[in-house]
Amino acid sequence: MRRSLLAASALLLLALLVSLWQESRRPIPIALTPTLTGQVEYCRTCHADLPEISHSHPVETFGCVLCHGGERLALNADLAHSTMRGGANPSDFSVVEASCGGENCHSGAAADDRDHIQRATSSIQATYAGAIASLRYTFGAQPDLNARLGIYAIQAPHSASGITELAAFDPAQETNPAIRAFAQDCLYCHLSAQPMPGEEYSRFNGCAACHSPAPLFDSPPIFSENGGSQRGAHSLTTAIPYTQCNRCHNRGNYDLRSMSFVPRSDHSTSRLSDYYQPIAQFTRCEWTLDCVDCHTRTEVMGDGSLYSNKKDIQYIQCRTCHGTLTELPKTKTLTDPNHLAFRLAFLNPVIDLKLGDTVLVTEKGEPLWNIRPLSDGTYELFDKANGQRFTFRPVIGSGCEQKADEQASQDCHKCHAVER
Amino acid sequence: MRPSFFHHLHPPTIPARQSRFRYTLAAGGLAVFLMLILLVTGALEMFYYIPTPDEAALSIQTLAFLVPYGGLVRNLHYWSAQLLLVVSAAHLLRVIFTGAYAPPRRFNYLLGLFLFVTAILLDFTGYVLRWDEGVHWALVAGTNLVKSIPLLGNTLYGILVGGGQPGAATLIRFYGWHIFGLTLAAIILGFWHIFRLRRDGGIAVPPPPLRADQARITRFELVRREGLAMLLAGAALLLLSVFAPAPLAAPITNTAVLTEFTRAPWFFLWVQELLRLGSPFLWGVLVPLAVLLLLTLIPYVFPKPAPAELGRWFPKSNRAAQILVAILGLAILSLIALALIPNP
Repeated sequence: MRRSLLAASALLLLALLVSLWQESRRPIPIALTPTLTGQVEYCRTCHADLPEISHSHPVETFGCVLCHGGERLALNADLAHSTMRGGANPSDFSVVEASCGGENCHSGAAADDRDHIQRATSSIQATYAGAIASLRYTFGAQPDLNARLGIYAIQAPHSASGITELAAFDPAQETNPAIRAFAQDCLYCHLSAQPMPGEEYSRFNGCAACHSPAPLFDSPPIFSENGGSQRGAHSLTTAIPYTQCNRCHNRGNYDLRSMSFVPRSDHSTSRLSDYYQPIAQFTRCEWTLDCVDCHTRTEVMGDGSLYSNKKDIQYIQCRTCHGTLTELPKTKTLTDPNHLAFRLAFLNPVIDLKLGDTVLVTEKGEPLWNIRPLSDGTYELFDKANGQRFTFRPVIGSGCEQKADEQASQDCHKCHAVER
Repeated sequence: MRPSFFHHLHPPTIPARQSRFRYTLAAGGLAVFLMLILLVTGALEMFYYIPTPDEAALSIQTLAFLVPYGGLVRNLHYWSAQLLLVVSAAHLLRVIFTGAYAPPRRFNYLLGLFLFVTAILLDFTGYVLRWDEGVHWALVAGTNLVKSIPLLGNTLYGILVGGGQPGAATLIRFYGWHIFGLTLAAIILGFWHIFRLRRDGGIAVPPPPLRADQARITRFELVRREGLAMLLAGAALLLLSVFAPAPLAAPITNTAVLTEFTRAPWFFLWVQELLRLGSPFLWGVLVPLAVLLLLTLIPYVFPKPAPAELGRWFPKSNRAAQILVAILGLAILSLIALALIPNP
């Protein structure tokens, strides 16, 4: 009995030591109390080396949980991540309102230019309404090209196009086999779709599809001990390079007869050949600048209305920046310190805009905040993606031979296009 | 050596044969030990737990992750509770399979049975106190079973839940039951049970003329054996607490919306399986109560175990009762096992 008691005591002591050892392995919690929530979070205990996502979303102000969800007090990975919105991507459209919404954030009033979510979720890139309408019309499933269906159902009561709602495209309701094949093989490129497998297609969904430009990777690489964090993965930016747009665009062609996607087969060696497929000719600015330098916020994210075709929302032309033979491009002098141009320049400081500066504006009044007229009649432009400075001349005073009634970009291409 | 207070709690000597581990399985003693651990760890947890719907799960997360040794205290509490039910069931089975409920121990058997029911209710109320998605279904389903009782159902539900549906009132009531009401009942029943044990002559043995083996052990030896059992049980508890932490899930945010995690706590899985058969009142209330009633009536309805056969396993004289309880036990275990098989 004495021996048994001694052995049992030793066993208990061992068990006590094991529990002491386990307690010593508990990570020291690293607290963060963001100013916007006032509630302490311990995400940094494991994620201390995660880079700041952007200088407009400082972690000391926002914290992590406000955008990502999750259990702020838990130090067990499964529990802490169990209530995260959208997995690793809180900007996925299924959860974007909870993550990025709010009157002072990204689902505010259009007048304050804070209605990003409403605009992005009703945009053609998100609803894919144009492709769906076009295909259904082609195969006789609808009598005209007006959009009736989108990838998801959505309503836009004040839609300028007259289309106030889209129903959800349901392949099971379609009788035409070509449309069903379309649904099977061709729905990879809208903002809520998983991209096709392959490094060249990889991107996030939702807002991050454009605003978090970085290749994806399988395992969570956020910690340095797990193989290194990839630069740019945890980032939000408006300095979007053309390579990000090219995750979906310029990747190949669709063959309507076989209802298949034919990826582009060329191997690009220069920016020119990388930018576009070898199917057309482009002017120098179209491959020297980045897509976002011309395609404005309204073009890309929509204006809150539902459209049947991307041409209904695209409106930037060569003359928007270069003017015509008789008109200079529109400009605006910035006298309001709260003007959108200053906000955009703050988000992406490629240009030092000051109160009183003049910038170009589009026909719809959108500020081309990275383009300024210079005193000698030329203009300077700062590439939004890399800050490179360009200068250009207006059409007035040049040897341009354009006609007054041929003002589309394709007319400019006749002389200014470069052989790829 | 003069016996200490602790030694005096035990009889001066007890029969040697019946004091062996292979006879008692140390089940009753371990139950007492586990209850003491529960009292101490529970009291420590009270420093951090907040019984409101918004704070409950978060306070448990704070305790488990941020308080030094908080996780250990919580895990000890959890495992002591689950092991208490296992050990109490083992004790009940031992008492029946050795015929130890024979007169004059019939009333003590009832005390023990109600103590067991109290322990189950304590486990359930403690489970609900987590107020996270892991317990949400059990909370709603369990309280709805009360509602299914005809005539009295809605009134009983109102008393239990404190409103039309589970909410803040439910949590504070369950907290009150758990730390006070049921604990008080357990303490009173427990002391009474142990008092009756000594009053009824200690461990059940045949009377001296019919006893084959007259050897006895002293209270000192008995206390040593209990100490050994406590040391081993303590070590097992600690190891379980380190390597199998108590479950934790995301807080309940909306009591009206249930997640897909539909599971009763393990000790009610047999009821969950029964509920598949039909009427909630019949299978969820009446049948479990019938099981309890059967167990309660065993000392009164079945033939009494013969005094000569006491103090050993599986005496012939109460074979019918043994068979009934064996069937009941196997049925309940099978239902629990069935519930654990993942659904295709």
